[in-house]
Amino acid sequence: MTFNPAILTDNWREIFDGMVLTILIWIAGTAIGLVIGLAVAVIQLFTNRWVAAPLTLYVAVMRGTPFLIQLFVIYYGGPFFGLDLTPLVAGVAGLALYGGAYFSEIFRAGFLSVPPGQIEAARMMGIGRLDIVRHVQLPQMLVIILPALANMTVLLSKETAVLSVITVNELTSVVQSIGSTTFAFAETLLFLALVYWAFLEIVTAAARRLEKRVGRFMLRTQG
Amino acid sequence: MFNTEIIVKSLPMLLQASVWTVIYSLTSVAIGFCIGTLMCAAGLSASRLGRAVSAFYVSFFRGVPLLVQLLISYYCLPLIGVNVPSSVAAVGTLALCTGAYIAEILRGGFLGIPPGLIEAARMVGLSRAQILTRIEVPLAVRFTLPSLVNETTMMVKASSLISVVGVLELTRLAQNIATSTFQPLEIYLTAGAIYFVINGAITLAGEFAESRFRMEKAR
Amino acid sequence: MAERPIIDVRGVWKRFGDVEVLKGIDLAIAKSEVTCIIGPSGSGKSTLLRCIAFLEEYSEGEIYIEGELLGFSLENGKRRRVSDAEVARVRRNVGFVFQQFNLWPHMTALENVAAPLKLARGIAREDAEKRARRMLEKVGLSHRAEAYPSQLSGGQQQRVGIARALAMEPHIMLFDEPTSALDPELVGEVLQVMRDLAGEGMTMAVVTHEMGFAAQVADTVVFIDHGVIAASGSPQQVFRHEENPRLRQFLQNYFERNVFWQGSDAAPAS
Repeated sequence: MTFNPAILTDNWREIFDGMVLTILIWIAGTAIGLVIGLAVAVIQLFTNRWVAAPLTLYVAVMRGTPFLIQLFVIYYGGPFFGLDLTPLVAGVAGLALYGGAYFSEIFRAGFLSVPPGQIEAARMMGIGRLDIVRHVQLPQMLVIILPALANMTVLLSKETAVLSVITVNELTSVVQSIGSTTFAFAETLLFLALVYWAFLEIVTAAARRLEKRVGRFMLRTQG
Repeated sequence: MFNTEIIVKSLPMLLQASVWTVIYSLTSVAIGFCIGTLMCAAGLSASRLGRAVSAFYVSFFRGVPLLVQLLISYYCLPLIGVNVPSSVAAVGTLALCTGAYIAEILRGGFLGIPPGLIEAARMVGLSRAQILTRIEVPLAVRFTLPSLVNETTMMVKASSLISVVGVLELTRLAQNIATSTFQPLEIYLTAGAIYFVINGAITLAGEFAESRFRMEKAR
Repeated sequence: MAERPIIDVRGVWKRFGDVEVLKGIDLAIAKSEVTCIIGPSGSGKSTLLRCIAFLEEYSEGEIYIEGELLGFSLENGKRRRVSDAEVARVRRNVGFVFQQFNLWPHMTALENVAAPLKLARGIAREDAEKRARRMLEKVGLSHRAEAYPSQLSGGQQQRVGIARALAMEPHIMLFDEPTSALDPELVGEVLQVMRDLAGEGMTMAVVTHEMGFAAQVADTVVFIDHGVIAASGSPQQVFRHEENPRLRQFLQNYFERNVFWQGSDAAPAS
């Protein structure tokens, strides 16, 4: 077999666009997912169980079924509800809903990790429920759950590749189609693996550094 | 309107295909557990080469999307003269991928054992091999059982990706039915429900296994 | 001393990197002698005990267990680390009781005691369990034999820890702050077991903060401070007549903290 890296350089423009789209999808999906996750956790913990029950079901379903099936339901099943989504919108929505379920579990564990005595103390001083969340619980738990959040964010970046199956023109899709038109599978796919690998190593290393800095900051403020 | 008839009609076929999903995912977890144990041992060993191999392996298979790994094994194995059925290549890839995660899980389990428990074993004269088999492995498995069960459910979900490289299992069959009947919502929801039930059963089995250890943790 | 000491520590140093934790310790413990090692936290007293058990490698000096050099061999003046099996052989008659009990959580109390007999001594299961039951009875826990460690109170766990060590029929027992992890009301039951052991003539080295126990049971009290033995002698000498200012300060702090039940007259004249 021959190895011809020129196939990659010849198509650098498309590949670059695919990379940019992958990163944008990842950022958008993560950001929306975080909002969904926090909202779900807060509602689950601070309202009655009739409100919480459907959300619990949502979390269980998203965690118990394949991401690919979820994408199919949203993209191909959307028209049934009058939602004729483009592949990109369906993909980002799917990523956000999928990530949101996992993020909500992380936030929930975080809320429960703050000692109840502190919340009692805040309540005794007449601080409102949402202010307790914002000023007492969130700042403390964020440090604790940061590694889990970072880990999930990294996982989501890998899931973006699955969006290629519903024809989103992200990196995997672009490189794969170059491969199948030129039959240069080895060059394209190994390149693809290397790009993801390098990207994940960089993101993971960045997350570690962030954790360390936040950890040091907390040590300082807590004396 | 929502077509329940098509669900009733295709359910038997989907259930049959889900047997393959279970077989493929459990086989890859079983093989992955062996790979993971070896890689964990290499990673905790004194050998510099062993640690390097383990670190490289874990980093690569956790760092590259599973879909890309599957595409590589599907398209590139024949290029280097390896001609195996696509299902074998796919299960092998799943096993390599989950092996990396299992290696990390087991590593955490071993490192989480309080050193005092090992010291106590040394002080009553247990040999290194006895400490490993009687103290460390049982404790590591107990510590990591929930994570190992969770990893198994992850693999059931991840096995849906092997549909992309043409292996017939639940997702692939659902795709086939959905495109021929033009009822994607009903079919994919049904497939999703089957995955949900499979993972529910695995989680329950895991909880049962854990409850056998629970009295050790009572109080 | 007419008889050869069971434990003979000679000029032992222990360094962790640049930190010198033990700085030339000499200590001999004779058969049936009870030695209590006291001192402020961080003074090196636990490290000394762990060196005697070879849970830590000492950096310099020699430790002899019943006449045999522990952990090293001397070849024309050069120290060489011996194999783990050789270490295990030399310390086979040394029992160790940990501050944190270190019971194996996946085994019942009985299994915790019986497993080492089976695994390290090759004793048949039935005999091992018979002996384990006898040991649990000795520490007053035969009724809890089937319980897992998490189902036992701290005091009970520590008594299982003692039974586990005793089952190996050691000639010497080392106790590393055996009551420090316990709630105050559970300390008594563990100390009682230790008192009984001392009464039976067991050779013991006890790192402890329990001055009452040291005063009543010890033959020798050793005060370690900054990695050296700053004072040693009979309890009478050490607690009443010692002039070392660091020791006086240490005891003063102790008595002030416990003045409620100790009575102010027990404090050394200041």
